[in-house]
Amino acid sequence: MKSKQIKIALRNCGHIDPEDIADYISKDGYAALGKCLSGSREKVVEIMKMSGLRGRGGGGFPTGKKWELAAAVPGEKKYVICNADEGDPGAFMDRSVLEGDPHSVLEAMAVCGYAIGADEGYIYIRAEYPLAIKRLKIAMAQAREAGLLGKNILGTGFNFDIGLKYGAGAFVCGEETALIKSMEGNRGEPVMKPPYPAQKGYMGKPTNVNNVETFANIPAIINNGSEWFSSIGTEGSKGTKVFALAGKVKNVGLVEVPMGTSLRELIYDIGGGILNGKKFKAAQTGGPSGGCLTMKHLDTPIDYECLKQAGSMMGSGGLIVMDEDDCMVAVAQFYLDFTVEESCGKCVPCREGNKVLYQILNKITHGKGEVEDLKKLKDFSEVIKSASLCGLGQTSPNPVLSTLNNFYDEYLEHVTEKKCRSKHCRALIKYIIIPEKCVGCGACKRACPAEAISGEVKKVHLIDQEKCIKCGACYQKCKFNSIIIE
Amino acid sequence: MKAIKSIGDLKTLTEKLKIKSSADKKKVQICIAMATCSIASGSGKVMEFFKEEMPKQPFEFMIRSTGCMGLCHSEPTVEVTLPDSDPVVFGKVDVKRARSIIEDYIKTGKTIDGVIEGN
Amino acid sequence: MACQIKENEIKEKVTEICSEFKNDPNDLIAILHKTQNHFGFLPKEVQAAIAETVKVPQAKVYGIVTFYSYFTMEPRGKHPISICMGTACYVKGAEKVLKEFESKLEIKNGQTTPDGKFSMNTLRCIGACGLAPVIMIGEKVYGGVKQEDVSKIIKEYE
Repeated sequence: MKSKQIKIALRNCGHIDPEDIADYISKDGYAALGKCLSGSREKVVEIMKMSGLRGRGGGGFPTGKKWELAAAVPGEKKYVICNADEGDPGAFMDRSVLEGDPHSVLEAMAVCGYAIGADEGYIYIRAEYPLAIKRLKIAMAQAREAGLLGKNILGTGFNFDIGLKYGAGAFVCGEETALIKSMEGNRGEPVMKPPYPAQKGYMGKPTNVNNVETFANIPAIINNGSEWFSSIGTEGSKGTKVFALAGKVKNVGLVEVPMGTSLRELIYDIGGGILNGKKFKAAQTGGPSGGCLTMKHLDTPIDYECLKQAGSMMGSGGLIVMDEDDCMVAVAQFYLDFTVEESCGKCVPCREGNKVLYQILNKITHGKGEVEDLKKLKDFSEVIKSASLCGLGQTSPNPVLSTLNNFYDEYLEHVTEKKCRSKHCRALIKYIIIPEKCVGCGACKRACPAEAISGEVKKVHLIDQEKCIKCGACYQKCKFNSIIIE
Repeated sequence: MKAIKSIGDLKTLTEKLKIKSSADKKKVQICIAMATCSIASGSGKVMEFFKEEMPKQPFEFMIRSTGCMGLCHSEPTVEVTLPDSDPVVFGKVDVKRARSIIEDYIKTGKTIDGVIEGN
Repeated sequence: MACQIKENEIKEKVTEICSEFKNDPNDLIAILHKTQNHFGFLPKEVQAAIAETVKVPQAKVYGIVTFYSYFTMEPRGKHPISICMGTACYVKGAEKVLKEFESKLEIKNGQTTPDGKFSMNTLRCIGACGLAPVIMIGEKVYGGVKQEDVSKIIKEYE
């Protein structure tokens, strides 16, 4: 999996002991902080701007510009926040960085604190990551002991310390204003922007929020230079991106590739291709906020702009590979199920609109959809996108629009022919016994919980479609491959 | 670790640690991934095994617990670097394969199953 | 269901936990985590005690407990089972694993067995997608879980 990879954010993962600060220092750990503290704050901001680094949490906002905005706001008290909420299902990049190289994040937060004029930082980490929390606590204690966090860091007079704040299982808290609300002991309900956190964030003070992977890049950028970093990647997307390759691909795991690497290289060269010899169907990027890339996108270079043009988005880096057995209508329904549950409920378009989308998709996958439903899905999606309060609602219809656009035929089959070509949607499939293959052993009849199968010993059996509950027990039991799914 | 009082002191410490790292390259180095995926796949038992068996061997070694190597499809993973050699990563390591790593790969240089190519 | 925990035990523990955080309402989430770790759940009596100690309306505490999926007002089982329903696990058959747990334990998602041994809920991504489908029992992670593994896993805790 390694040959096409360039490890920047993951440079130390798998090579150092994350519970030993000496290991981190031996790899030039905290040298970047030392370098920054020897120069001006403005210089640090300049390096970040020149590097071209963009937020790796999904938004892709230029990091240098973000720091510049926070630095320019007057104020004695400012904060640095690391967004370690990583709520995208299928994403584990941040978990790996925090478990494998926690000091890189601590160092980067201190660099940020120096650049913007903050003396306090917090890592908002999801409660589902107990090992990452443990390793962060160890790293923070060791950094304090070594005088690399706390007062008068490296004798320069710069003070900066970091605390932990915990999430409690709310995807919406990955949105920066909801995250801040949660840090203040509230429900994670987003607020209107502007004002942006840089102007008025945590406790009403100027706050810079960056993602774990964004921070993990920073020590390497400071040590190797902005020119080095901007020489990697594409015109609009510099550096590398960590992807969590998961789903129906052979080599599931974490990869870090230069921006501009194609989907084909990711899935086939690095990922080893599709499991069990099946056919590639789609790759979902951006999680519940993203869309799917299909066969026609295999040679699309992966960067912020190209993915947007293809109807998806970079997101945090989760890349779920799907094959011919995955029903794209059911996938859209899966994402809407997630969104409906995770919506904070504050604004009507998201709270009510997504429920409607889910209900329509549920109808379709249960064989009760109509052609008019497809237009409703599109229309509702457009309204939700344009009228929702925050990024969660504004992007929640993306999986619907993307699958409708790329797999319209599948949707049409579901509503007009009541057929699911992937044989996934239970209401649209039939279990049928092939008379020529049935030996009349009766195993299927005995397994059937609905008494839907009739037949005598050594005679062809028959499934009563009216009684069949489509549980698949007969299909599992048959040793003669005489039951097919249609 | 004692408090590092200046940027100069940090540079000195870094150099010292790099020299030690270089010296460690003469030892057999064993890195065992201990991330969430690794532990869920049984890397804890593998770590215990190496910690118990390596002190019995007639060569200098160091064992390091690391984070994720990104090879979730082959956890537990163990990277072995023999003196003056490139690192080799083994996947799906259980106690049986760990024993073979010591007895066959480390002691006699024999090629064994489980090597993850491209690493 | 009436809260089985004694009133003075609630008051004592809540006072102790809140004072660790200097009774700061900004730390409500951390306070609720620690309190739930101790009592196993957050019934309204415990919520009321927290609200009184940090001096916020009880409705605010209730609003937080019901917002975040980690917090529960119902007692969890001795061995809480969390089944990941993130995308990678969904695509690798997590729904079948969930159905098998429901069938073997004779409870539905969100419920606790009558003997208090097991409770079940779904999680949205543990972040171990490389091992999909993934479940957690307590803090122990099980990867690559298939339908046929469920009985064996349950037996480990009997």
